[in-house]
Amino acid sequence: MASIVVVGGGWAGCAAAVAAANAGAQVMLLERTDLLLGAGLVGGIFRNNGRYTAAEELIVLGGGELIQQMDQTARHQDIEFPGHKHASLYDVVRIEPAVRQLLATKSIDVRLSSSVVDVVMAGKTITAAILADGTVIRGDVFVDTTGTFGPMGNCLKYGNGCAMCILRCPSFGPRVSITSKAGIKEELGTTTDGTIGAMSGSCKLNKDSLSNPLRKQLEEQGVAVIPLPAHLIKKNSLAHKACVQYALEAYAENVILLDTGHVKLMTSYFPVEKLRQVPGLEAARFEDPYAGGVGNSMRYLALAPRDNTLKVQGVDNLYCGGEKTGTIVGHTEAVVTGTLAGHNAVRQKIGLDPLLLPTALAVGDFIAYVGQQMKVPVGRSIRYTFAGASYFARMKELGLYKTEHGEIAERVHAQNMTGIFAARLL
Amino acid sequence: MSRYLQSKCIDINSAYCPCILASANHCVFCAQLQGKDICDCNWSGICILYEQKWNARNDLVTAKPQRTEMECSVIDRHFITEKICRIVLDVPRAMAEQLRDPGSFVFLRRNVDPQYYHIPIGIMKVIGDHQIVVVAEAVGIKSLRLVEEDQTVMLRGPYKNGIFGSPWIDKLTNGKVLLIAGGMGQPPALPVAEKLTRNYNKVTAIISAGTTGFIVTQELQDMGVNIVTVDSLRRVGYHHFASLLAETDWDLVVSCGPDAQHSKVIDAMRNIGCDLPMAATNNNVMCCGEGICGSCTKETNQHQQIRTCKVQVDITDLKRE
Repeated sequence: MASIVVVGGGWAGCAAAVAAANAGAQVMLLERTDLLLGAGLVGGIFRNNGRYTAAEELIVLGGGELIQQMDQTARHQDIEFPGHKHASLYDVVRIEPAVRQLLATKSIDVRLSSSVVDVVMAGKTITAAILADGTVIRGDVFVDTTGTFGPMGNCLKYGNGCAMCILRCPSFGPRVSITSKAGIKEELGTTTDGTIGAMSGSCKLNKDSLSNPLRKQLEEQGVAVIPLPAHLIKKNSLAHKACVQYALEAYAENVILLDTGHVKLMTSYFPVEKLRQVPGLEAARFEDPYAGGVGNSMRYLALAPRDNTLKVQGVDNLYCGGEKTGTIVGHTEAVVTGTLAGHNAVRQKIGLDPLLLPTALAVGDFIAYVGQQMKVPVGRSIRYTFAGASYFARMKELGLYKTEHGEIAERVHAQNMTGIFAARLL
Repeated sequence: MSRYLQSKCIDINSAYCPCILASANHCVFCAQLQGKDICDCNWSGICILYEQKWNARNDLVTAKPQRTEMECSVIDRHFITEKICRIVLDVPRAMAEQLRDPGSFVFLRRNVDPQYYHIPIGIMKVIGDHQIVVVAEAVGIKSLRLVEEDQTVMLRGPYKNGIFGSPWIDKLTNGKVLLIAGGMGQPPALPVAEKLTRNYNKVTAIISAGTTGFIVTQELQDMGVNIVTVDSLRRVGYHHFASLLAETDWDLVVSCGPDAQHSKVIDAMRNIGCDLPMAATNNNVMCCGEGICGSCTKETNQHQQIRTCKVQVDITDLKRE
């Protein structure tokens, strides 16, 4: 029996598993598909804008192994594209095996193709998770990092239908929320006009389908900004994007491409015949989602009520990370929240008070601020990220945005929290 | 083989899904098609909402065509006993094909009777491409009329949920199966044994004559089933079942017969702490077969209401009456 059971193997789940293992617990990580990292398999952008600060804080806090893993597989570092500074792009093709290797060195029991479909409750305590084949997985404390994307029925109802994305619901079964199965009512994120959910903000193109000069430019510089022909510009297309940090005019007027191993197209979806009218993309085709000409996955359809220690309210032994914690965007955000959730799961297991990250740190302020915002409908109509839009503005306003490692280390040290996530608790 | 049985609608992935329940927001499976905001189905590899919307988008009828009634010639009608009648019907090839699986059944009535005379009857076997064999026991007002000497009968089908636990029967290969069938439980046992033996399973069957006499023993023997015949399940059969159960490492237990027999089988297993997968005939009263009328609804131990004409469920999960 594992003492900590993490459900959902995306960035948040991997971070929770690593944090719990580092704290000394026996950890099992259950993942529905045959690959770890979830949406992280098609993401790649980190260290841009305030994410730099968050990444450095996490490293000083002792929870930075996954960030360092991203650094090690980065194809491009310190690049700039519209609205974003000092960004790094990890290689989406190479990152998953590297993370899997890291989890193996920590003796985390990773179970792939293991879809949790239900939980067993004793009062307000989860005693076990049930897999789709009926296997019963017992545990002391559970972490819900199942995300808020899909499944296909939701993408159909609130979006343009299943676009066949990296989540691969038809093959591996739908996302199932542990929080919801434990009987907790979840909230839904909306767009500013009140529509439920938000559409994933970017697609991947097959790199070989680009023209040779464009591919070369991307591989050398990491970024390409191609002005759109006037008839293809659709300015109102930005409102429904999940990734608010890219809901800028530059992204409506240009095709912005980033080299993450595949080619990241910073648009929710783009009809293929129109995309092929853009210079250099005459033969373009999508890599993810496969029907990127039609739509993309829908997100924020299962937000867990939680406190700032990331404990799910209403269940005695459940923590949450990643998008379950609020309408947040990004790998860095997932790793930050996942790390705290995994660490606090171990603290609960051994009877310690859960850790609260102080608001003097960007990571602490982020968790507290988003938690506050999730309590009101208008707050749930906004997406939060260190990388842009309202939360990055807040970071700058509060003086939380820093890029000097020394300064960040000092700040964490002043809170007496240096290395706290690396300390073995049992 | 996993002891766990996923409770799901037997019509999913068939020509009859999404059905009229889905268009009325009463799908037994899809949370969205029950009027909920968010997906919460017991995934079976297909999104019913998708199918439903896709049909609508393409201007097809929202619900797929329902099973229609057809007039079928009676090829043979033979009284095994005074009340038990074996009927051979000529049916279209497509219908015969869809009635080959264990648990298949049809609704039958006399062609002169109104539609509410329909009774559900399990398929004993399919002969060639066109013929089906059923056995009816003339006990009630509907069945008494069905066995009358007519040239034709009215048939509605195909229906599939005649056996709880049929996924176990479908999945098991090279296993050992203990089957118990008595009286009118024999006809549905035949396709079960056929499927199991075809998948290289060793089947041992305790067969009781009941009120019908032995009507499937010869055919079971031809399939290579190891048969133990008894005069009465109550006096001999259940004891025999209990001792056989304890003797061997079985993979599956199948009970074909009335609910009282299922209960005895469940008790026998519990008595020796045996928790095997158990398939059993679905004996619930059915009127429409489409999940509409509610006459076959049963409650599970988890207080869920199950429309047993459509939904596969572990019989040991059903509340005993």
